[in-house]
Amino acid sequence: MNEMTRQRLFGATHAFDSPIVRGFVVGILGLFVLAPVLIVLLRRAGKVDVKHYDELMKRYRSWLVLATIMIVPVLLGAAWTILGVGLLSILCYREYARATGLFRERLMSLLVAVGILAVTFSVLDHWYELFMALFPLTVGTIAAVAILDDRPRGYIQRVALAVLAFVLFGACLGHLGYFANDPQFRPILFWLIVSVEMNDVFAYLTGKAFGRRKLAPRTSPNKTVGGAIGALVLTTVLAAFVGHFVFKGEVLDRPSRLIELGVIISICGQLGDLLISSIKRDLDIKDMGILFPGHGGWLDRFDSLILVAPAVFHFVGYFRGIGLDEPARILTGGY
Amino acid sequence: MRHWRLEPAHDLGLALSERMRSERRESGFIETAAHLAWWAAVGGYLKTIHRLRVEGREHLPEDGPFVLVSNHQSHLDALVLASQLPWRLRVRTYPIAAADTFFESPLKSAFAAAAINALPMSRGRAGVHALQTLRDRLANERCIYILFPEGTRSRDGLMGPFKPGVGMFLAGTSVPAVPCHLIGTFEALAPRRHVPRPVRITLRIGKPMTFEQMANLREGWAQIAERLERAVRGLAELDS
Repeated sequence: MNEMTRQRLFGATHAFDSPIVRGFVVGILGLFVLAPVLIVLLRRAGKVDVKHYDELMKRYRSWLVLATIMIVPVLLGAAWTILGVGLLSILCYREYARATGLFRERLMSLLVAVGILAVTFSVLDHWYELFMALFPLTVGTIAAVAILDDRPRGYIQRVALAVLAFVLFGACLGHLGYFANDPQFRPILFWLIVSVEMNDVFAYLTGKAFGRRKLAPRTSPNKTVGGAIGALVLTTVLAAFVGHFVFKGEVLDRPSRLIELGVIISICGQLGDLLISSIKRDLDIKDMGILFPGHGGWLDRFDSLILVAPAVFHFVGYFRGIGLDEPARILTGGY
Repeated sequence: MRHWRLEPAHDLGLALSERMRSERRESGFIETAAHLAWWAAVGGYLKTIHRLRVEGREHLPEDGPFVLVSNHQSHLDALVLASQLPWRLRVRTYPIAAADTFFESPLKSAFAAAAINALPMSRGRAGVHALQTLRDRLANERCIYILFPEGTRSRDGLMGPFKPGVGMFLAGTSVPAVPCHLIGTFEALAPRRHVPRPVRITLRIGKPMTFEQMANLREGWAQIAERLERAVRGLAELDS
Protein backbone atom coordinates (compact mmCIF):
# COMPACT_ATOMS: atom_id res chain seq x y z
CA MET A 1 0.00 0.00 0.00
CA ASN A 2 1.56 3.31 -1.03
CA GLU A 3 1.39 6.55 0.91
CA MET A 4 -1.28 8.06 -1.34
CA THR A 5 -3.60 5.10 -0.76
CA ARG A 6 -2.98 5.20 2.99
CA GLN A 7 -3.90 8.89 3.02
CA ARG A 8 -7.06 8.19 1.03
CA LEU A 9 -8.10 5.41 3.41
CA PHE A 10 -7.21 6.94 6.76
CA GLY A 11 -5.99 10.50 6.12
CA ALA A 12 -8.44 12.48 8.17
CA THR A 13 -6.05 15.44 8.17
CA HIS A 14 -6.77 15.91 4.47
CA ALA A 15 -10.51 16.06 5.06
CA PHE A 16 -10.78 19.75 4.29
CA ASP A 17 -8.25 19.96 1.42
CA SER A 18 -10.94 20.52 -1.17
CA PRO A 19 -12.75 23.88 -1.11
CA ILE A 20 -15.93 22.07 -2.13
CA VAL A 21 -15.83 19.94 1.03
CA ARG A 22 -15.27 23.07 3.10
CA GLY A 23 -18.22 24.68 1.34
CA PHE A 24 -20.49 21.71 2.01
CA VAL A 25 -19.56 21.39 5.67
CA VAL A 26 -19.98 25.11 6.33
CA GLY A 27 -23.28 25.10 4.42
CA ILE A 28 -24.63 22.09 6.31
CA LEU A 29 -23.52 23.49 9.68
CA GLY A 30 -25.18 26.80 8.76
CA LEU A 31 -28.43 25.00 7.95
CA PHE A 32 -28.36 23.24 11.30
CA VAL A 33 -27.88 26.51 13.16
CA LEU A 34 -30.50 28.31 11.12
CA ALA A 35 -33.22 25.66 11.06
CA PRO A 36 -34.14 25.72 14.79
CA VAL A 37 -34.08 29.52 14.79
CA LEU A 38 -36.47 29.51 11.85
CA ILE A 39 -38.74 26.95 13.50
CA VAL A 40 -38.87 28.97 16.73
CA LEU A 41 -39.60 32.18 14.80
CA LEU A 42 -42.41 30.48 12.87
CA ARG A 43 -43.87 29.29 16.16
CA ARG A 44 -43.62 32.80 17.68
CA ALA A 45 -45.30 34.31 14.63
CA GLY A 46 -48.10 31.78 15.05
CA LYS A 47 -47.51 30.19 11.65
CA VAL A 48 -47.25 26.67 13.11
CA ASP A 49 -49.27 25.14 15.94
CA VAL A 50 -47.80 23.24 18.90
CA LYS A 51 -48.28 19.83 17.30
CA HIS A 52 -46.51 20.88 14.12
CA TYR A 53 -43.78 22.58 16.10
CA ASP A 54 -43.03 19.41 18.10
CA GLU A 55 -43.05 17.36 14.90
CA LEU A 56 -40.61 19.78 13.20
CA MET A 57 -38.28 19.77 16.20
CA LYS A 58 -38.37 15.97 16.34
CA ARG A 59 -37.45 15.79 12.67
CA TYR A 60 -34.72 18.37 13.18
CA ARG A 61 -33.10 16.32 15.97
CA SER A 62 -33.27 13.18 13.82
CA TRP A 63 -31.64 15.07 10.94
CA LEU A 64 -28.87 16.18 13.28
CA VAL A 65 -28.05 12.55 14.11
CA LEU A 66 -28.44 11.42 10.50
CA ALA A 67 -26.21 14.16 9.10
CA THR A 68 -23.48 13.30 11.61
CA ILE A 69 -23.70 9.62 10.65
CA MET A 70 -23.37 10.53 6.95
CA ILE A 71 -20.71 13.24 7.17
CA VAL A 72 -18.22 12.00 9.78
CA PRO A 73 -17.09 8.75 8.06
CA VAL A 74 -16.54 10.60 4.76
CA LEU A 75 -14.39 13.20 6.51
CA LEU A 76 -12.42 10.54 8.41
CA GLY A 77 -11.35 8.69 5.27
CA ALA A 78 -12.23 6.19 2.56
CA ALA A 79 -11.84 3.13 4.81
CA TRP A 80 -14.42 4.47 7.29
CA THR A 81 -16.73 5.47 4.45
CA ILE A 82 -16.60 1.96 2.94
CA LEU A 83 -17.09 0.25 6.30
CA GLY A 84 -19.89 2.70 7.10
CA VAL A 85 -21.70 1.82 3.88
CA GLY A 86 -21.18 -1.89 4.65
CA LEU A 87 -22.72 -1.45 8.09
CA LEU A 88 -25.59 0.58 6.62
CA SER A 89 -26.27 -2.23 4.11
CA ILE A 90 -26.39 -4.81 6.92
CA LEU A 91 -28.72 -2.63 9.02
CA CYS A 92 -31.01 -2.06 6.02
CA TYR A 93 -31.02 -5.80 5.35
CA ARG A 94 -31.90 -6.51 8.98
CA GLU A 95 -34.97 -4.26 8.76
CA TYR A 96 -35.99 -5.81 5.44
CA ALA A 97 -35.54 -9.35 6.79
CA ARG A 98 -37.67 -8.65 9.87
CA ALA A 99 -40.35 -6.94 7.78
CA THR A 100 -40.61 -9.65 5.13
CA GLY A 101 -40.10 -12.55 7.55
CA LEU A 102 -37.00 -13.71 5.66
CA PHE A 103 -35.09 -13.69 8.98
CA ARG A 104 -36.82 -16.97 9.83
CA GLU A 105 -34.93 -18.58 6.92
CA ARG A 106 -31.63 -18.44 8.78
CA LEU A 107 -29.52 -19.98 6.02
CA MET A 108 -30.79 -17.51 3.41
CA SER A 109 -30.20 -14.65 5.83
CA LEU A 110 -26.65 -15.81 6.47
CA LEU A 111 -25.91 -15.94 2.73
CA VAL A 112 -27.22 -12.42 2.12
CA ALA A 113 -25.15 -11.12 5.06
CA VAL A 114 -22.02 -12.92 3.83
CA GLY A 115 -22.66 -11.52 0.33
CA ILE A 116 -22.88 -7.96 1.72
CA LEU A 117 -19.68 -8.46 3.74
CA ALA A 118 -17.90 -9.85 0.65
CA VAL A 119 -19.00 -6.80 -1.37
CA THR A 120 -17.68 -4.53 1.39
CA PHE A 121 -14.36 -6.38 1.33
CA SER A 122 -14.03 -6.14 -2.46
CA VAL A 123 -14.71 -2.40 -2.27
CA LEU A 124 -12.15 -1.92 0.51
CA ASP A 125 -9.64 -3.94 -1.50
CA HIS A 126 -10.43 -1.87 -4.62
CA TRP A 127 -10.92 -5.10 -6.58
CA TYR A 128 -13.45 -4.19 -9.25
CA GLU A 129 -13.58 -7.64 -10.88
CA LEU A 130 -14.55 -9.30 -7.59
CA PHE A 131 -17.03 -6.50 -6.88
CA MET A 132 -18.75 -7.28 -10.21
CA ALA A 133 -18.35 -11.07 -9.92
CA LEU A 134 -20.05 -11.15 -6.52
CA PHE A 135 -23.42 -10.34 -8.07
CA PRO A 136 -23.87 -13.54 -10.12
CA LEU A 137 -21.89 -15.61 -7.62
CA THR A 138 -23.97 -14.63 -4.59
CA VAL A 139 -27.28 -14.87 -6.40
CA GLY A 140 -26.28 -18.27 -7.81
CA THR A 141 -25.17 -19.47 -4.38
CA ILE A 142 -28.46 -18.40 -2.80
CA ALA A 143 -30.46 -20.28 -5.45
CA ALA A 144 -28.24 -23.36 -5.12
CA VAL A 145 -28.00 -23.55 -1.33
CA ALA A 146 -31.78 -23.19 -0.98
CA ILE A 147 -32.10 -26.60 -2.69
CA LEU A 148 -30.17 -28.36 0.07
CA ASP A 149 -33.11 -28.20 2.51
CA ASP A 150 -35.07 -30.48 0.18
CA ARG A 151 -38.09 -28.26 0.89
CA PRO A 152 -39.50 -27.24 -2.51
CA ARG A 153 -42.63 -25.66 -0.96
CA GLY A 154 -41.80 -21.95 -0.73
CA TYR A 155 -38.52 -22.28 -2.66
CA ILE A 156 -39.30 -19.45 -5.06
CA GLN A 157 -40.41 -17.15 -2.27
CA ARG A 158 -37.38 -17.56 -0.03
CA VAL A 159 -34.88 -17.44 -2.92
CA ALA A 160 -36.57 -14.40 -4.46
CA LEU A 161 -36.70 -12.53 -1.14
CA ALA A 162 -33.01 -13.24 -0.54
CA VAL A 163 -31.98 -12.32 -4.09
CA LEU A 164 -33.94 -9.04 -3.96
CA ALA A 165 -32.27 -8.27 -0.64
CA PHE A 166 -28.80 -8.83 -2.06
CA VAL A 167 -29.59 -6.85 -5.20
CA LEU A 168 -30.80 -3.83 -3.22
CA PHE A 169 -28.47 -3.76 -0.22
CA GLY A 170 -25.40 -5.61 -1.49
CA ALA A 171 -25.08 -4.89 -5.20
CA CYS A 172 -26.84 -1.50 -5.49
CA LEU A 173 -25.95 0.14 -2.18
CA GLY A 174 -22.41 -1.29 -2.44
CA HIS A 175 -21.77 1.17 -5.28
CA LEU A 176 -22.07 4.04 -2.82
CA GLY A 177 -18.98 2.76 -1.00
CA TYR A 178 -17.07 2.19 -4.23
CA PHE A 179 -16.99 5.95 -4.89
CA ALA A 180 -14.52 6.07 -1.98
CA ASN A 181 -11.87 4.44 -4.20
CA ASP A 182 -11.58 7.71 -6.12
CA PRO A 183 -9.10 10.32 -4.83
CA GLN A 184 -11.90 12.89 -5.18
CA PHE A 185 -14.34 10.79 -3.13
CA ARG A 186 -15.13 13.47 -0.54
CA PRO A 187 -16.51 16.12 -2.93
CA ILE A 188 -18.25 13.47 -5.05
CA LEU A 189 -19.97 11.78 -2.10
CA PHE A 190 -21.00 15.06 -0.48
CA TRP A 191 -22.42 16.24 -3.79
CA LEU A 192 -24.28 12.97 -4.29
CA ILE A 193 -25.69 12.62 -0.76
CA VAL A 194 -26.72 16.27 -0.49
CA SER A 195 -28.43 16.11 -3.91
CA VAL A 196 -30.34 12.96 -2.95
CA GLU A 197 -31.43 14.27 0.44
CA MET A 198 -32.39 17.65 -1.02
CA ASN A 199 -34.37 15.79 -3.69
CA ASP A 200 -36.56 14.41 -0.86
CA VAL A 201 -36.88 17.85 0.72
CA PHE A 202 -37.74 19.50 -2.62
CA ALA A 203 -40.38 16.86 -3.35
CA TYR A 204 -41.91 17.46 0.08
CA LEU A 205 -41.90 21.28 -0.17
CA THR A 206 -43.05 21.65 -3.78
CA GLY A 207 -45.60 18.91 -3.16
CA LYS A 208 -47.01 20.97 -0.26
CA ALA A 209 -47.05 24.11 -2.41
CA PHE A 210 -48.20 22.87 -5.83
CA GLY A 211 -49.14 19.24 -5.41
CA ARG A 212 -52.72 18.36 -6.32
CA ARG A 213 -52.74 15.21 -8.44
CA LYS A 214 -51.54 12.10 -6.65
CA LEU A 215 -48.49 10.42 -8.14
CA ALA A 216 -49.13 6.84 -7.04
CA PRO A 217 -51.93 6.93 -4.45
CA ARG A 218 -51.94 3.21 -3.79
CA THR A 219 -48.17 3.05 -3.25
CA SER A 220 -47.53 6.28 -1.40
CA PRO A 221 -50.63 8.39 -0.74
CA ASN A 222 -48.77 11.61 0.14
CA LYS A 223 -46.72 11.93 -3.05
CA THR A 224 -47.99 14.27 -5.77
CA VAL A 225 -47.15 14.87 -9.41
CA GLY A 226 -46.37 18.49 -8.52
CA GLY A 227 -43.85 17.35 -5.90
CA ALA A 228 -42.20 14.93 -8.32
CA ILE A 229 -41.82 17.56 -11.06
CA GLY A 230 -40.73 20.23 -8.58
CA ALA A 231 -38.05 17.90 -7.20
CA LEU A 232 -36.93 16.98 -10.72
CA VAL A 233 -36.45 20.64 -11.69
CA LEU A 234 -34.87 21.87 -8.45
CA THR A 235 -32.62 18.83 -7.90
CA THR A 236 -31.38 18.99 -11.48
CA VAL A 237 -30.50 22.65 -11.06
CA LEU A 238 -28.77 22.02 -7.72
CA ALA A 239 -26.89 18.88 -8.81
CA ALA A 240 -25.77 20.43 -12.11
CA PHE A 241 -24.64 23.65 -10.46
CA VAL A 242 -22.66 21.98 -7.68
CA GLY A 243 -21.50 19.21 -10.05
CA HIS A 244 -19.84 21.87 -12.19
CA PHE A 245 -17.47 22.60 -9.29
CA VAL A 246 -17.01 18.95 -8.30
CA PHE A 247 -16.05 17.85 -11.83
CA LYS A 248 -14.41 21.13 -12.88
CA GLY A 249 -12.34 20.82 -16.06
CA GLU A 250 -13.19 17.10 -16.50
CA VAL A 251 -15.20 15.44 -19.28
CA LEU A 252 -18.35 15.64 -17.19
CA ASP A 253 -18.07 19.41 -16.85
CA ARG A 254 -20.49 20.16 -19.70
CA PRO A 255 -24.03 21.49 -19.22
CA SER A 256 -25.67 18.54 -21.00
CA ARG A 257 -23.80 15.90 -18.93
CA LEU A 258 -24.39 17.75 -15.66
CA ILE A 259 -28.10 18.09 -16.40
CA GLU A 260 -28.28 14.39 -17.25
CA LEU A 261 -26.66 13.60 -13.91
CA GLY A 262 -29.20 15.77 -12.08
CA VAL A 263 -32.10 14.07 -13.87
CA ILE A 264 -30.70 10.62 -13.02
CA ILE A 265 -30.32 11.55 -9.33
CA SER A 266 -33.82 12.97 -9.05
CA ILE A 267 -35.65 10.19 -10.90
CA CYS A 268 -33.72 7.31 -9.32
CA GLY A 269 -34.03 8.92 -5.89
CA GLN A 270 -37.81 9.14 -6.19
CA LEU A 271 -38.05 5.61 -7.60
CA GLY A 272 -35.98 4.22 -4.70
CA ASP A 273 -38.39 5.87 -2.30
CA LEU A 274 -41.41 4.38 -4.11
CA LEU A 275 -39.71 0.98 -4.26
CA ILE A 276 -39.45 0.74 -0.47
CA SER A 277 -42.99 2.14 -0.19
CA SER A 278 -44.21 -0.69 -2.43
CA ILE A 279 -42.54 -3.24 -0.17
CA LYS A 280 -44.16 -1.65 2.89
CA ARG A 281 -47.61 -1.55 1.23
CA ASP A 282 -47.31 -5.17 0.21
CA LEU A 283 -46.57 -6.07 3.84
CA ASP A 284 -49.17 -3.69 5.30
CA ILE A 285 -46.66 -1.95 7.52
CA LYS A 286 -46.09 1.78 7.93
CA ASP A 287 -42.40 2.06 8.70
CA MET A 288 -39.47 -0.32 8.44
CA GLY A 289 -38.18 0.71 11.87
CA ILE A 290 -38.65 3.13 14.75
CA LEU A 291 -35.08 4.34 15.12
CA PHE A 292 -35.39 7.92 13.92
CA PRO A 293 -38.46 9.77 15.23
CA GLY A 294 -40.32 11.36 12.32
CA HIS A 295 -38.39 9.33 9.74
CA GLY A 296 -38.73 5.62 10.61
CA GLY A 297 -35.87 3.15 10.35
CA TRP A 298 -32.63 3.07 8.37
CA LEU A 299 -34.41 1.89 5.26
CA ASP A 300 -37.05 4.62 5.44
CA ARG A 301 -34.34 7.25 5.40
CA PHE A 302 -31.79 5.76 3.00
CA ASP A 303 -34.25 4.29 0.49
CA SER A 304 -33.60 7.02 -2.10
CA LEU A 305 -29.88 6.22 -2.25
CA ILE A 306 -30.37 2.58 -3.27
CA LEU A 307 -31.06 3.14 -6.98
CA VAL A 308 -29.11 6.40 -7.29
CA ALA A 309 -25.78 4.86 -6.24
CA PRO A 310 -25.34 2.36 -9.13
CA ALA A 311 -26.90 4.67 -11.76
CA VAL A 312 -24.65 7.62 -10.98
CA PHE A 313 -21.64 5.35 -10.43
CA HIS A 314 -21.86 3.86 -13.91
CA PHE A 315 -22.67 7.19 -15.57
CA VAL A 316 -19.63 8.81 -13.97
CA GLY A 317 -17.60 5.66 -14.55
CA TYR A 318 -18.45 5.54 -18.25
CA PHE A 319 -17.35 9.11 -19.02
CA ARG A 320 -14.74 9.81 -16.41
CA GLY A 321 -13.82 6.59 -14.59
CA ILE A 322 -13.73 6.11 -10.82
CA GLY A 323 -10.42 5.56 -9.05
CA LEU A 324 -8.72 4.49 -12.29
CA ASP A 325 -5.30 5.82 -11.27
CA GLU A 326 -5.51 4.43 -7.74
CA PRO A 327 -3.68 1.15 -7.03
CA ALA A 328 -6.07 -1.83 -7.20
CA ARG A 329 -6.23 -4.89 -4.91
CA ILE A 330 -4.51 -3.11 -2.07
CA LEU A 331 -5.22 -5.91 0.45
CA THR A 332 -5.04 -9.08 -1.65
CA GLY A 333 -2.19 -7.90 -3.88
CA GLY A 334 -2.14 -8.34 -7.65
CA TYR A 335 -0.80 -11.28 -9.61
CA MET B 1 -50.63 -18.12 -9.28
CA ARG B 2 -50.57 -18.88 -5.57
CA HIS B 3 -50.11 -15.86 -3.32
CA TRP B 4 -46.97 -15.63 -1.24
CA ARG B 5 -47.29 -15.82 2.50
CA LEU B 6 -45.33 -12.86 3.82
CA GLU B 7 -45.24 -12.64 7.58
CA PRO B 8 -43.42 -9.73 9.21
CA ALA B 9 -41.72 -10.32 12.56
CA HIS B 10 -44.44 -10.51 15.20
CA ASP B 11 -42.62 -7.97 17.37
CA LEU B 12 -42.11 -5.46 14.53
CA GLY B 13 -42.41 -1.81 15.55
CA LEU B 14 -41.60 -2.35 19.23
CA ALA B 15 -38.73 -0.45 20.84
CA LEU B 16 -35.83 -2.63 21.97
CA SER B 17 -36.81 -2.58 25.66
CA GLU B 18 -40.42 -3.49 24.82
CA ARG B 19 -39.27 -6.20 22.44
CA MET B 20 -37.25 -7.89 25.17
CA ARG B 21 -40.31 -8.08 27.42
CA SER B 22 -42.78 -9.10 24.72
CA GLU B 23 -44.17 -12.63 24.55
CA ARG B 24 -44.25 -12.09 20.78
CA ARG B 25 -40.47 -11.62 20.64
CA GLU B 26 -38.74 -13.32 17.71
CA SER B 27 -34.98 -13.76 17.67
CA GLY B 28 -32.97 -12.43 14.79
CA PHE B 29 -29.59 -13.57 13.63
CA ILE B 30 -27.49 -12.10 16.43
CA GLU B 31 -29.83 -13.20 19.20
CA THR B 32 -29.92 -16.74 17.79
CA ALA B 33 -26.13 -16.84 17.74
CA ALA B 34 -26.15 -15.62 21.36
CA HIS B 35 -28.59 -18.37 22.41
CA LEU B 36 -26.58 -21.09 20.72
CA ALA B 37 -23.31 -19.89 22.26
CA TRP B 38 -24.97 -19.69 25.67
CA TRP B 39 -26.44 -23.21 25.46
CA ALA B 40 -23.13 -24.63 24.26
CA ALA B 41 -21.35 -23.07 27.27
CA VAL B 42 -24.07 -24.24 29.69
CA GLY B 43 -24.00 -27.76 28.23
CA GLY B 44 -20.23 -27.95 28.71
CA TYR B 45 -20.49 -26.62 32.27
CA LEU B 46 -23.18 -29.12 33.31
CA LYS B 47 -21.30 -32.02 31.81
CA THR B 48 -17.95 -31.24 33.46
CA ILE B 49 -18.88 -29.67 36.82
CA HIS B 50 -22.14 -31.49 37.56
CA ARG B 51 -21.45 -34.74 35.65
CA LEU B 52 -24.99 -34.49 34.29
CA ARG B 53 -26.72 -37.84 33.70
CA VAL B 54 -29.80 -38.09 31.48
CA GLU B 55 -32.22 -41.04 31.60
CA GLY B 56 -35.08 -41.62 29.15
CA ARG B 57 -33.78 -39.38 26.40
CA GLU B 58 -35.62 -41.62 23.91
CA HIS B 59 -38.93 -40.19 25.19
CA LEU B 60 -38.19 -36.74 23.75
CA PRO B 61 -40.36 -36.08 20.66
CA GLU B 62 -38.50 -35.68 17.35
CA ASP B 63 -39.82 -32.18 16.72
CA GLY B 64 -41.92 -29.44 18.33
CA PRO B 65 -44.36 -28.46 19.53
CA PHE B 66 -44.04 -29.97 22.99
CA VAL B 67 -43.82 -28.80 26.59
CA LEU B 68 -41.23 -29.96 29.10
CA VAL B 69 -42.81 -30.06 32.57
CA SER B 70 -40.59 -30.49 35.60
CA ASN B 71 -40.18 -30.03 39.33
CA HIS B 72 -38.50 -26.73 40.24
CA GLN B 73 -35.87 -26.26 42.93
CA SER B 74 -33.08 -24.14 41.44
CA HIS B 75 -32.12 -21.60 38.78
CA LEU B 76 -30.18 -24.44 37.17
CA ASP B 77 -33.37 -26.34 36.27
CA ALA B 78 -34.26 -24.55 33.02
CA LEU B 79 -30.61 -24.65 31.97
CA VAL B 80 -30.43 -28.43 32.44
CA LEU B 81 -33.65 -29.06 30.51
CA ALA B 82 -32.91 -26.76 27.54
CA SER B 83 -29.31 -27.87 27.15
CA GLN B 84 -30.41 -31.47 26.56
CA LEU B 85 -32.39 -30.70 23.40
CA PRO B 86 -30.82 -31.16 19.97
CA TRP B 87 -29.33 -28.06 18.30
CA ARG B 88 -32.04 -27.65 15.69
CA LEU B 89 -34.73 -27.49 18.42
CA ARG B 90 -32.88 -25.11 20.73
CA VAL B 91 -33.60 -22.06 18.59
CA ARG B 92 -37.31 -22.71 19.17
CA THR B 93 -36.98 -23.54 22.88
CA TYR B 94 -38.38 -21.03 25.35
CA PRO B 95 -38.31 -21.33 29.13
CA ILE B 96 -41.46 -19.61 30.42
CA ALA B 97 -40.40 -17.24 33.20
CA ALA B 98 -42.28 -14.95 35.59
CA ALA B 99 -42.43 -11.46 34.08
CA ASP B 100 -42.20 -9.76 37.49
CA THR B 101 -38.93 -11.50 38.39
CA PHE B 102 -36.99 -12.12 35.20
CA PHE B 103 -38.15 -9.12 33.19
CA GLU B 104 -38.38 -6.44 35.88
CA SER B 105 -35.26 -4.45 34.87
CA PRO B 106 -33.74 -3.77 31.43
CA LEU B 107 -30.56 -5.66 32.34
CA LYS B 108 -32.42 -8.75 33.54
CA SER B 109 -34.71 -8.67 30.48
CA ALA B 110 -31.71 -8.40 28.18
CA PHE B 111 -30.13 -11.48 29.77
CA ALA B 112 -33.38 -13.44 29.87
CA ALA B 113 -34.12 -12.58 26.22
CA ALA B 114 -30.66 -12.71 24.63
CA ALA B 115 -29.06 -15.63 26.46
CA ILE B 116 -31.79 -17.87 27.90
CA ASN B 117 -34.45 -17.06 25.28
CA ALA B 118 -37.07 -16.90 28.01
CA LEU B 119 -40.60 -15.67 27.35
CA PRO B 120 -42.40 -13.68 30.04
CA MET B 121 -45.55 -14.90 31.75
CA SER B 122 -47.40 -12.11 33.51
CA ARG B 123 -49.49 -12.79 36.56
CA GLY B 124 -53.01 -11.47 37.06
CA ARG B 125 -55.18 -9.70 34.50
CA ALA B 126 -52.45 -8.93 31.96
CA GLY B 127 -51.56 -12.60 32.03
CA VAL B 128 -54.78 -13.82 30.39
CA HIS B 129 -54.09 -12.17 27.04
CA ALA B 130 -50.39 -13.03 27.19
CA LEU B 131 -51.26 -16.64 27.92
CA GLN B 132 -53.48 -16.89 24.85
CA THR B 133 -50.60 -15.49 22.75
CA LEU B 134 -48.23 -18.07 24.24
CA ARG B 135 -50.72 -20.90 23.67
CA ASP B 136 -51.23 -19.94 20.00
CA ARG B 137 -47.52 -19.50 19.45
CA LEU B 138 -46.70 -22.94 20.86
CA ALA B 139 -48.68 -24.71 18.14
CA ASN B 140 -48.18 -22.28 15.24
CA GLU B 141 -44.41 -22.03 15.49
CA ARG B 142 -43.78 -25.59 16.68
CA CYS B 143 -42.12 -24.27 19.83
CA ILE B 144 -40.75 -26.10 22.82
CA TYR B 145 -41.75 -24.56 26.15
CA ILE B 146 -40.14 -25.29 29.50
CA LEU B 147 -42.66 -24.99 32.34
CA PHE B 148 -42.44 -25.35 36.10
CA PRO B 149 -46.06 -25.81 37.26
CA GLU B 150 -45.17 -25.42 40.95
CA GLY B 151 -44.94 -21.71 40.12
CA THR B 152 -41.86 -21.15 42.27
CA ARG B 153 -38.67 -22.87 43.37
CA SER B 154 -39.01 -25.33 46.25
CA ARG B 155 -37.49 -23.90 49.45
CA ASP B 156 -36.92 -27.28 51.11
CA GLY B 157 -36.16 -29.57 48.19
CA LEU B 158 -39.60 -31.23 48.32
CA MET B 159 -41.90 -30.95 45.33
CA GLY B 160 -44.99 -28.77 45.84
CA PRO B 161 -48.43 -29.18 44.23
CA PHE B 162 -48.77 -28.27 40.51
CA LYS B 163 -50.86 -25.19 39.77
CA PRO B 164 -53.60 -25.54 37.12
CA GLY B 165 -51.98 -22.86 34.89
CA VAL B 166 -50.01 -25.55 33.08
CA GLY B 167 -53.31 -26.98 31.81
CA MET B 168 -54.11 -23.73 29.99
CA PHE B 169 -51.27 -24.44 27.56
CA LEU B 170 -52.31 -28.01 26.87
CA ALA B 171 -56.07 -28.53 27.27
CA GLY B 172 -57.79 -29.55 24.04
CA THR B 173 -54.61 -29.57 21.96
CA SER B 174 -52.54 -32.39 20.51
CA VAL B 175 -49.36 -30.81 21.91
CA PRO B 176 -47.59 -33.40 24.07
CA ALA B 177 -46.29 -32.63 27.56
CA VAL B 178 -43.12 -34.45 28.58
CA PRO B 179 -42.85 -34.98 32.36
CA CYS B 180 -39.29 -34.59 33.69
CA HIS B 181 -37.74 -34.99 37.11
CA LEU B 182 -34.57 -33.29 38.28
CA ILE B 183 -32.37 -34.62 41.05
CA GLY B 184 -29.44 -32.74 42.53
CA THR B 185 -30.16 -29.19 41.39
CA PHE B 186 -31.39 -28.32 44.91
CA GLU B 187 -28.13 -29.55 46.43
CA ALA B 188 -26.17 -27.73 43.70
CA LEU B 189 -27.90 -24.35 43.88
CA ALA B 190 -30.71 -24.05 46.42
CA PRO B 191 -32.83 -20.85 46.28
CA ARG B 192 -30.78 -18.97 48.85
CA ARG B 193 -27.36 -19.94 47.50
CA HIS B 194 -25.41 -17.76 45.07
CA VAL B 195 -22.53 -20.00 44.02
CA PRO B 196 -23.30 -23.50 42.75
CA ARG B 197 -21.73 -26.59 44.36
CA PRO B 198 -20.29 -29.28 42.05
CA VAL B 199 -22.95 -31.86 42.87
CA ARG B 200 -24.03 -34.53 40.37
CA ILE B 201 -27.31 -33.73 38.60
CA THR B 202 -29.65 -36.33 37.13
CA LEU B 203 -32.44 -35.61 34.67
CA ARG B 204 -35.09 -38.27 34.17
CA ILE B 205 -37.40 -37.90 31.17
CA GLY B 206 -40.80 -39.66 31.14
CA LYS B 207 -43.23 -40.67 28.39
CA PRO B 208 -45.07 -37.82 26.61
CA MET B 209 -48.74 -37.28 27.48
CA THR B 210 -51.44 -35.45 25.48
CA PHE B 211 -54.70 -33.87 26.67
CA GLU B 212 -56.70 -33.58 23.48
CA GLN B 213 -60.01 -34.68 25.05
CA MET B 214 -59.63 -32.36 28.03
CA ALA B 215 -61.93 -29.29 28.04
CA ASN B 216 -60.14 -25.94 27.94
CA LEU B 217 -61.88 -24.95 31.18
CA ARG B 218 -61.06 -24.74 34.86
CA GLU B 219 -61.78 -28.44 35.63
CA GLY B 220 -59.75 -29.58 32.62
CA TRP B 221 -56.77 -27.50 33.66
CA ALA B 222 -56.87 -28.87 37.22
CA GLN B 223 -57.06 -32.45 35.97
CA ILE B 224 -54.10 -31.90 33.63
CA ALA B 225 -52.04 -30.43 36.47
CA GLU B 226 -52.94 -33.37 38.67
CA ARG B 227 -52.03 -35.98 36.06
CA LEU B 228 -48.74 -34.29 35.26
CA GLU B 229 -47.89 -33.97 38.95
CA ARG B 230 -48.53 -37.69 39.38
CA ALA B 231 -46.32 -38.46 36.37
CA VAL B 232 -43.42 -36.38 37.72
CA ARG B 233 -43.80 -37.92 41.20
CA GLY B 234 -43.78 -41.33 39.51
CA LEU B 235 -40.41 -40.51 37.94
CA ALA B 236 -39.09 -39.42 41.36
CA GLU B 237 -40.17 -42.69 42.94
CA LEU B 238 -38.20 -44.80 40.46
CA ASP B 239 -35.25 -44.34 42.83
CA SER B 240 -36.84 -45.66 45.98
